[in-house]
Amino acid sequence: MADILDILDIEQPATEISRDSIIHGDKNKKKYVTAKAVKRPEGMHREVFALLYNDNKELPPLLPTDTGKAYKQTKARLGMRKVRKWVWAPFTNPARKDNAVFHHWKRASDEAKEYPFAQFNKQVSIPSYSESEYNQYLKSEDWSQAETDHLMDLCQRFDLRFIVIHDRWDRAAFRDRSVEDLKERYYNICSILSKVKTNPWSNTVTMVNGEKRVYHYDAEHERKRKEQLRRLFDRTQEQIDEEQMLLAELKKIEARKRERERKTQDLQKLISRADSGTITPSTPTNHNTEPPGTPSSMAANMRRHDRKLHKKKITTQQRPMRAVENVTVEWSGIKFPEARGTGVWLRSQRMKLPPGVGQRKTKAIEQELRLMNIDIAPTPTEPICKHFNELRSDLALSIDLKNALASCEFELQALRHQYEALNPGKTLTIPASICNTSVDSDSKPVGEIIDVVGSPGAMNTTI
Amino acid sequence: MSGPNGMLYGGDEIGALVFDPGHHSLRVGYAQEDTPKADIPAVVGVGPATHIPNSEEKVPDGNITQTGSKTGSELRHYIDVTELHVPRPGMEVQTYMKDGQVDNWDLFEKMLDYCYSKVIRSPSEHHPVLFTEAVWATRPVREKLAELIFEKYQAPAFFLVKNAVLVAFANGKSTALVIDAGATQTSAVPVIDGYALVSAAARSALGGDHLVAQAKLMLNAAHIQMLPIYSIQSKEVIRERERARYTLKSLPAGLTQSWQQYMLKRQYEDFCHCIAQVSESAYDERTAASVPGVHYEFPGGYHQDFGPERFKLTETLFESSLAAPHLACAAAAACDADARPALWAGVVCGGGGACVTGWAERVARDLAARAPSSHRLKSHAAASLAERRFAAWIGGSILASIGSFQQMWISSQEYDEGGKGHLERKCP
Ligand SMILES: Nc1ncnc2c1ncn2[C@@H]1O[C@H](COP(=O)(O)OP(=O)(O)O)[C@@H](O)[C@H]1O
Repeated sequence: MADILDILDIEQPATEISRDSIIHGDKNKKKYVTAKAVKRPEGMHREVFALLYNDNKELPPLLPTDTGKAYKQTKARLGMRKVRKWVWAPFTNPARKDNAVFHHWKRASDEAKEYPFAQFNKQVSIPSYSESEYNQYLKSEDWSQAETDHLMDLCQRFDLRFIVIHDRWDRAAFRDRSVEDLKERYYNICSILSKVKTNPWSNTVTMVNGEKRVYHYDAEHERKRKEQLRRLFDRTQEQIDEEQMLLAELKKIEARKRERERKTQDLQKLISRADSGTITPSTPTNHNTEPPGTPSSMAANMRRHDRKLHKKKITTQQRPMRAVENVTVEWSGIKFPEARGTGVWLRSQRMKLPPGVGQRKTKAIEQELRLMNIDIAPTPTEPICKHFNELRSDLALSIDLKNALASCEFELQALRHQYEALNPGKTLTIPASICNTSVDSDSKPVGEIIDVVGSPGAMNTTI
Repeated sequence: MSGPNGMLYGGDEIGALVFDPGHHSLRVGYAQEDTPKADIPAVVGVGPATHIPNSEEKVPDGNITQTGSKTGSELRHYIDVTELHVPRPGMEVQTYMKDGQVDNWDLFEKMLDYCYSKVIRSPSEHHPVLFTEAVWATRPVREKLAELIFEKYQAPAFFLVKNAVLVAFANGKSTALVIDAGATQTSAVPVIDGYALVSAAARSALGGDHLVAQAKLMLNAAHIQMLPIYSIQSKEVIRERERARYTLKSLPAGLTQSWQQYMLKRQYEDFCHCIAQVSESAYDERTAASVPGVHYEFPGGYHQDFGPERFKLTETLFESSLAAPHLACAAAAACDADARPALWAGVVCGGGGACVTGWAERVARDLAARAPSSHRLKSHAAASLAERRFAAWIGGSILASIGSFQQMWISSQEYDEGGKGHLERKCP
């Protein structure tokens, strides 16, 4: 009723204020009679059109304003119920051993339960040993018991953060030790104790197929790695420049060498040809510029041709009424660059996503990795690097394909609706072969349905 | 703290207080608030309690802590600007801080009394107390503080955190290379997983006070007199660079040297805050001259534009080998190689010294030139100056109101049982 009055612009009798009118009040009042929609000229982008014509035919403001109705809309949801009471109540925290009582605010209606944050009280389990166990198994020439005790104490206090432990090491009482020394001793103790003690108490022991596996700490390797790392970090700018300069020089020398070899070969050829007496008019420059028939340029040509064909195919499919947006997957996979020639580098550098990969794609890939329960920054060993990069490249492709598929489907549905609108009473049955639901049952790979420029395989081999 | 869907949010407020004692000021307030309730100069005026010098001054209210009865021979302690910045004969200004730590405990107690009675206005037995401390804080000082809080103030719980760690927390990081520029010290401290690496910390005495001393030299050389503001009765409006015309107030006799110096230092500080700016790269006369000047009026009425001097003034903070970027490099180099990439990726600046216009940008720039090129460098400083200045306090405010932190406090029960021994173990 109110709507009709509104449309006919007849003054409404003032309604009494109710809860509903507070919340939805302005929705009822504001009804704009929308002008006849102006048709969008052919070829004009929707966004541009929207700038010129909006629903109530107002010109867009030239200056940014904040007088729009945006701030007037009531967002407040006024509850009519009574508020719940809060009280300043004492609580004990089971994560504390001393039963200290603190006070905090809580709802009076909430029943007393365990302090919720106590669940975050996690502790690392550190092995312990008795005096006799120490004397029997753990004696070391290098370490006294007092020093070992100190180490285990620090391990407990700092939850095995060895860099912090090293920092807080009691240098007055014991001699200075490197992080690797500390780790070596700790893991050594762990492995000895896990052998002699039966219960698997520590996180350094894992059970694989019912067999005890003890974490082995390779101190020598770690020391070497740390030393290399330190040297890499401690390089001065001059040293880096010098190294780069030397590498550039090396390249130049190699190039010159190749040039010389080429020239001798040419000479040799000329000599042999001169010997046989058949001198062709071909000049030696031929070797530099590839003749048009060489395989690589041919491939490039074919690619170009391919792409043209592909474009044409899509344009001919266009319906007269509605411009079907071209769905092409232009880019697929990720091409990880070769490490640039800066001399020494860390292998983790190889796992960096190239700058061409946008923020959104990076996020999407990370999300996928998380779904698969894969660390987003794994330890970069040689095989992990390779596989991890391949995996992410494939993921990027799969994300692209999914997006392309979604937009194709959208187009398909839109076309169907359009068809049905133009031919009332008819329904368009989409052949099963191009319908998404059938793809699962069909064993047809997605690559055959959607054109992908450049196949993923090609990308991966270049890594 | 817990949402409708059983989600557990991070905060749980238990009415804790956060104290951040510094050389320049003491910051105090309730945890979970975003700025301290009070920022009190870290000095105490000590003078005879006998007289009321001039008519404007009200009868002393509670701002003055009284020792003993109101007999003339007793000393009174004047705390916070409204009491301290009044000329009183015989009032000496003393500081309780030394080398980043509390040194004069009697004075510091007066300060805490004042905080509880005038700022917090609530009995100390109700509030757990979190104190910040310098990275190099010594054991006796820490134990003395715990003793004071538990035995005199009867606080239910106590905790000590290194201020570098809190600066990192305030900037949302648990691993960071923290550059803290205070009044008397500038320090660079690596923080790993919320633990400060004490042995790798580097510090120098090149702080805000150094800048003030430089400003004094600069004004002396330019023959500009900084008249004490409390001595001016009235002044006339004059044109730029004209001789000042003012009339002097009659002051009570017997103003102490320490008080006068303290007041002048506040004025030089104000001058620095207004005009000092750090140039983007090493000082260069021409680029500095191209920046528009800043106008400053002195208490006597003299006023003028300051141009390139503004940049020259701050350059002393960056020229020496003890400048902040050098400290940061030294601190990072003293760390284990495995920790360095994370540190360089999170350089965080905080403290009052970082509020000088352009300071953080210059540090970032100098670091980019000095840091090893194999690291990804990212420097960070809070955008708002208050957040920069109070970074350590804000970090404390955040920490003390986190639910899972509530198990870390040293409670008074623990203190009674284990005494001070707990301190080293529980507050790393
Ligand atoms: N807005 C500002 N601009 C420039 N310097 C400032 C500003 N605010 C404070 N300072 C300077 O910072 C120093 C105080 O820093 P702060 O971190 O509070 O020191 P502390 O921790 O030793 O008390 C003082 O020397 C003061 O002059």
